[in-house]
Amino acid sequence: MDNYFLGIMILLLSGFVASVFSKKNKITVLSILVAIGSIFCLIPAIQVLINGESLTQTVFLSNIFCSINFVIDSLAAFFVAVITIMSLASVVYSKGYLRPYMEQDKNINSHLVFLPMLIASMLAVVTCQNALMFLICWEIMSLSSFFLVIFENEKKEVLKAGIKYLVFMHISVLFIIISFALMSLQSGSLDFASFASGMQNNEQYANLVFLLAFVGFGTKCGFVPFHNWLPDAHPAAPSHVSAIMSGVMIKTGIYGILRMLSLTGKPSLLISYTVLIISVISALYGVLYAITQHDLKRLLAYHSIENIGIIGIGIGVGMLGLAYNSPIVAVLGFAGGILHILNHSIFKELLFLSAGSVYVKTHTRDIESLGGLIKSMPATAVMFLIGSVAICGLPPFNGFVSEFLVYLGMFKGLSIHNFISLIALIGAIAGLALVGTMAILCFTKAFSIIFLGMPRSEAAENVQSDNGKLMIFPMGVLATFTLIIGLFPQYVFNFILKPVSVMCECNIESLSEPLSIMQIISVYALALVLLLAVIIGLKLMLSKNKTVMFETWGCGYNRPNNHMQYTASSYASPFLSMLKPLFKKVFDIEKPRKLFPKSAHFSLHIDDIEEAYLINPLLKGDEWFLSKFERIQSGNIQSYIKYGLIFLVLVIIGSLFIG
Amino acid sequence: MIMFFVNLIILLFVPFLMTGVIKKTKTFWQGKKGPSVLQPLYDFIRLMKKDFVISNTTSFVFRIAPIVSIVTVLFAAMLVPLASGKALINIPAGLIIFAYTLGLGKFVALISAMDTGSSFEGMGASREACFTTTVEPAFFVTIASIMALSGNYTFDSLVNITANAGNYGILVTVFASVVLFIMILVEGSRVPVDDPATHLELTMIHEVMILDNSGSDLALFSWANAIKMLLISSLIANMIIPSGITEWISVLLYLSVVFIISILIGTVESCMARIRMSHVFEFIFVMSSLALVVLSLVIARMFGG
Repeated sequence: MDNYFLGIMILLLSGFVASVFSKKNKITVLSILVAIGSIFCLIPAIQVLINGESLTQTVFLSNIFCSINFVIDSLAAFFVAVITIMSLASVVYSKGYLRPYMEQDKNINSHLVFLPMLIASMLAVVTCQNALMFLICWEIMSLSSFFLVIFENEKKEVLKAGIKYLVFMHISVLFIIISFALMSLQSGSLDFASFASGMQNNEQYANLVFLLAFVGFGTKCGFVPFHNWLPDAHPAAPSHVSAIMSGVMIKTGIYGILRMLSLTGKPSLLISYTVLIISVISALYGVLYAITQHDLKRLLAYHSIENIGIIGIGIGVGMLGLAYNSPIVAVLGFAGGILHILNHSIFKELLFLSAGSVYVKTHTRDIESLGGLIKSMPATAVMFLIGSVAICGLPPFNGFVSEFLVYLGMFKGLSIHNFISLIALIGAIAGLALVGTMAILCFTKAFSIIFLGMPRSEAAENVQSDNGKLMIFPMGVLATFTLIIGLFPQYVFNFILKPVSVMCECNIESLSEPLSIMQIISVYALALVLLLAVIIGLKLMLSKNKTVMFETWGCGYNRPNNHMQYTASSYASPFLSMLKPLFKKVFDIEKPRKLFPKSAHFSLHIDDIEEAYLINPLLKGDEWFLSKFERIQSGNIQSYIKYGLIFLVLVIIGSLFIG
Repeated sequence: MIMFFVNLIILLFVPFLMTGVIKKTKTFWQGKKGPSVLQPLYDFIRLMKKDFVISNTTSFVFRIAPIVSIVTVLFAAMLVPLASGKALINIPAGLIIFAYTLGLGKFVALISAMDTGSSFEGMGASREACFTTTVEPAFFVTIASIMALSGNYTFDSLVNITANAGNYGILVTVFASVVLFIMILVEGSRVPVDDPATHLELTMIHEVMILDNSGSDLALFSWANAIKMLLISSLIANMIIPSGITEWISVLLYLSVVFIISILIGTVESCMARIRMSHVFEFIFVMSSLALVVLSLVIARMFGG
């Protein structure tokens, strides 16, 4: 455990140390220090995951905190592993990504301080078992990520997105504080372990506490309807930061939910169904809006909502299993959910990093002006393709394994002989199937519009070469991870059972069936990959048929150009026209008029329905209400003294009556 | 072991016969003689020998797509019970592996169509992707409902439908068959969703996606599509064929069901026109509503006393 604190200390200091060095070496030093810190944190985590015994260290800080328990149990150890490995990949990648900024003499020192601080605070959050200290670390995490988001703070929209993020995080922390306060009221202590004992007998109270915590943590991880900050914050942040935020940071929200679940004991049916339904809605909502987006990073941000939804479906199925006393359903649900946390952090980070790689070369995030990049940036294209197939949950990549576990849990849940659970689970199965096919639509769109066809703008046409090895290498490592998990799910399943055992009892005997299925999937996926490799290799080498290169067949028209290609909007259009009522379309049309039309344009923008119909009216109402108080702030020093006096008088009168 | 090879032969060759029979049926309704039912097989062999013409906009995606397409379909076939009523890999939630393996093939086929940068192929890909989103949930609901009846979540539960569903068995079978039949029409890109007879203006979904493919690439794509039709037909066949008969009779019954389905497809094609593209969704939603009917039948069976 001492190693762990040492690691966090190294991470905290690394930014300051790195900023002393010359421009050239800054990020190299930072990467090395972060790597050392991560290794120190990983050692105890791996120890816990292998032995299964949790490590505890009690730190006595001051009288306010009393003593603080830092515990690495297998759940925390799992998150530590995810956080360190994924963050390290991003930090290594940032060297290539930040180079253009450094060449423009942008000061990146503060960025380099907050980056490891975010990692350190996440590591503290997942191990800290004291409510007050947890909240402090949580707040450091939110603030440091806020400063990372507003990296390009000279741009107005970046600042705006950052402030939105800050506001949402503080609404979220408010709910978490209330839920913690309610729990400590019951138990009389701030320690998580004592919370559990306080919750045992009082089901209603536990429900309330869990729901409040779910809203709080759910805002962090982006469950609909608390997701609104996500699609704004991710495009604003630099790519390696979005990768850490989407890949790792929002998962701390899931960690919070899982931790609360383990504290509040066996979930009630009401809570379980709530989590399941919100998750299905989040998954559908996320992928639906992802299809409407043309900003690559916004699209990926909406996919984070989708994947959080899938993780939530897993957790919801696990909770149903607990509530109906069906251990196999519980284990499979939680295993699917927790494995999807790992999987999502891998492929989402891969996608964000390759999106950043495209951005560095083309300086645009608008996919409508890209195209044909597979020829100039082949490595990035392959990485993005692997990430896309993985995020759609297709074999032989990792997304399939976790989604399969969730499905298997739901199928097993069908045998809970209950009317409501049958309908809910079949609904969830259909929902997950719909999410899967919509993800295919979305990522075939994204991949083919960005990388295939002909370049749609000069920016895309002028790309000469791919990014350097320094940026490709971390992506390659992540891509290898996606394939390894997809090919050997049986080992991963065994490994994932350890964190699952914190959530519910894992009886090894009842798991022999899922384990054997995992083995079959492994053989199946290996055979698929091998056969594909062999046949493709044979075709390329042995094909005797002559190949003639010619223009794309345009039905007799021999001069196709880049404007005649299908665009992202037209690709998504048949699907979106089917679901018209679910969007608020904002058209901006200027029709050609008169005999010699001068100008004409058409653009279509799709607003988030929640933002348009819920948040904006709320904000407007808020503004109206607060404007009534504008008069108080007159800028007149005398009136401010008057307010002070009135306040003092009120306090004195109040204390006379109450005291 | 013999059954394995029988199934393998069925899997590889019956798809050609299916398309042959569909074409023969169509010519019958038109009062023509028509080519032999083996014609699709001859076409396949001839195409395999041909040279390629490849668009210079394309990349490696375009070259590997046909292979991925055929390999994924063959792998998906391992999870479906064919003539013997037992799948090669018979595991719980095999449905998921089946659907997602086909999904991989579809993913690659879609990006390969987009790879040419042609607006026709883009249109086809966009529609194909769109229709898949509506078909898949209905398919899942139907099969999952039937699996809920039996409680073992393998494709076996299709075979034992009457044993598990009692009096409701026939109704469940009928509605589920209609759902799957509509799925064949959509996935196999047949009339009234798509028109496979021409390559251009009339057909704007699957056939137009492979407009730029030539030679063996084209052959593999068409073969994969035909196998996909066979796989869904075998789900229907396995629901209809009674269990507990000898293997050879069940093979015969299986083949006859598959050919009856082909004749039905041909008949539908002869007496219907393609639906207007904007109305195709309404046709597919028929499938979704029938899937819900299957679900309610299952619920009625399980909880209706």
